[in-house]
Amino acid sequence: MEFRDNKAIYLQIAEYVCEHILLGKWKADEKVPSVRELAVEMEVNPNTVMRTYELLQNKNIINNKRGIGFFVDEAAMDNVRNYRKQQFIIDELPVVFRNIYLLNIGFDELKSKYETFVKENFNA
Amino acid sequence: MNNTFNINRFGLLLRRQWLDFGKIYLISLVVLLGIVVGFYSYNIPSPLKDNNFDYDGNLDMRFRYPLFLILGFVFISIVASSYFNILGQKSRAILELMTPASVCEKFLAGVVYTAIISLFSYLLIFYLTDLAFVKYLNGHLDAFKGLLPKNGAIREVETITYQVFNDEGYRKYCSYFFAFPFLITSVFLLGSVYFNRFHYIKTALSVMVFIGLASYLVVKLSIWLMEGKVANHHHFRKEDKDWVLLTILLVTSIITLIIWTITYIRLKEKEV
Amino acid sequence: MYYLTNTVDMININNLNFGYSKHKPLFKNMSMRLSNGHIYGLLGKNGAGKSSLLKNLAGLVYAQSGTLDVMGFNPAKRQPALLEQICFIPEEFYLPSVKIDAYLKANAPFYKNFDNQYFTDLIKEFDIPVEQKLINMSYGQKKKVIIAFGLATQAKLVIMDEPTNGLDIPSKAQFRKIMASAMTDERCIIISTHQVRDLDNLIDTVIMLDENDVALKASVEEITAKLTFKKVKEIDDSIIYAEASLSGYNAVMPNYHQEESKLDMELLFNAILAEKIKFKPLFS
Repeated sequence: MEFRDNKAIYLQIAEYVCEHILLGKWKADEKVPSVRELAVEMEVNPNTVMRTYELLQNKNIINNKRGIGFFVDEAAMDNVRNYRKQQFIIDELPVVFRNIYLLNIGFDELKSKYETFVKENFNA
Repeated sequence: MNNTFNINRFGLLLRRQWLDFGKIYLISLVVLLGIVVGFYSYNIPSPLKDNNFDYDGNLDMRFRYPLFLILGFVFISIVASSYFNILGQKSRAILELMTPASVCEKFLAGVVYTAIISLFSYLLIFYLTDLAFVKYLNGHLDAFKGLLPKNGAIREVETITYQVFNDEGYRKYCSYFFAFPFLITSVFLLGSVYFNRFHYIKTALSVMVFIGLASYLVVKLSIWLMEGKVANHHHFRKEDKDWVLLTILLVTSIITLIIWTITYIRLKEKEV
Repeated sequence: MYYLTNTVDMININNLNFGYSKHKPLFKNMSMRLSNGHIYGLLGKNGAGKSSLLKNLAGLVYAQSGTLDVMGFNPAKRQPALLEQICFIPEEFYLPSVKIDAYLKANAPFYKNFDNQYFTDLIKEFDIPVEQKLINMSYGQKKKVIIAFGLATQAKLVIMDEPTNGLDIPSKAQFRKIMASAMTDERCIIISTHQVRDLDNLIDTVIMLDENDVALKASVEEITAKLTFKKVKEIDDSIIYAEASLSGYNAVMPNYHQEESKLDMELLFNAILAEKIKFKPLFS
């Protein structure tokens, strides 16, 4: 995996795991790769992956069954969304807001743009 | 785990060292054999040559003794001098020193290869060549008939080994020089640990300088001590000779042990 | 750290003084503790003593004073019980003119935990021709052989001096994967490197040598908790150190807002060399 420069590696790995859950590649109650397996795949220190898994455990996205390994939580999908939403509000929204403000974009314009985007990309 | 000496580990080490050392060693044995055979072929008596006999009327095989001594010196000293030379090369020394065997085992492996195996293989090769040529000559004694200046039968040639082991005087005499080859290998082994490059030349030069200085000092000292004090007309008796020989044996053995000890210490202190 | 159930000091360096000559000391009263379950990245300028520190740990050179404890042993004694627990991958090395299996037969029996299957797997993973003589292999291939051998010994202390030197791009990725799987709870791995970018995601603790001592020893987590690494448009007072880049500056600054930035090891390295005094109070 190519890591970006602007965010801690363990968070980027968390995004990777969340992505897999959102895309349905890893389903609820399924086992996720072990710390070592994921570390090897990502070419990172296992301690970093462990830190990712601790974080995801705290967010109830995965859970640790002692002696067996880590599993995708039953409510993982919702929890990932929550977590990602939080991340988005903290990390990315301020940048968007800043641009909206600086470029003086009206909410009506924004709304119509948003609706077209959703229609084009997600056929909603 | 015994961190000083373990016989299994020592065996493993001997085997491991063979990987590095063995090939060169076997090649040098072949070269050695070639040289010995070459000298013999050139120098043994032949009906085509004159002067085939020594003053006792035996077939003249006297060339063997200097050949044995000089070649022996060269061979065992070269082998000893090359044993630890890898420690002078950074790239090889690290993996060598990191091999999980004790310094004692590494040192003893050096002694086994340089003092024991090299000496025995030298003796064996010389013995076999000598035996082969002696057998060959004895099988062709008739060819020399009539060439003997004095009348009489041509006696069979003896191997060096036979000569040494069948004459008590010879045997005794040789046994006094028992430690000499070990002394030589120990000195050159030390040189291979001590110097990082050009081990052989440097060791040889050091030894020459050392012997030169030592003999100068001994002579000067004895002159200074003895002058005008001792009668000059002292006759050596047999017991005196034995005593001198025994001293030689003792001194060479002790020096060998001392040099081995120094080598062990140097090996222990070797840094990369 | 997280991963561990129990850590012990594997290496304890106390007031180490070392130098190749009396007048030019390389380490002055250096002290440091290293424990298992970590991959330490040893950084430093040329001549700062990275290789020398590694050699001290392996007992290849001797300190002038101070004590050095490696898994309860003094490495200077070169005892087999310690040697079989050290995997030392030097930058320069020589391999004899034999094939891999002969090399294995001669060397593996010294290590009672040697894992033949693991060695075979690593050799396969590294794509090394088994039938070729070691001496005829390229530098990179030889390096992969001794890395595979060293790891297969199951040694607890793994010391690597510039391991990625001479490895091509695919081999570097293989190397990172192998090291990620080789890092276990019991192991202490120390890697010295110039090429920080090859290894920066593997290293969890940075050790930096400068001016005869340890200039910094801190985990990546600790560093990023205290410092932020980011691109900025303009330089202001909060910035400790910055380097011009295409789109502004790559800057190091104190982490006031608990930002979770990615450690830029190269930047940190240059920052410490340039602004050593400013970092001292942060990591002590």
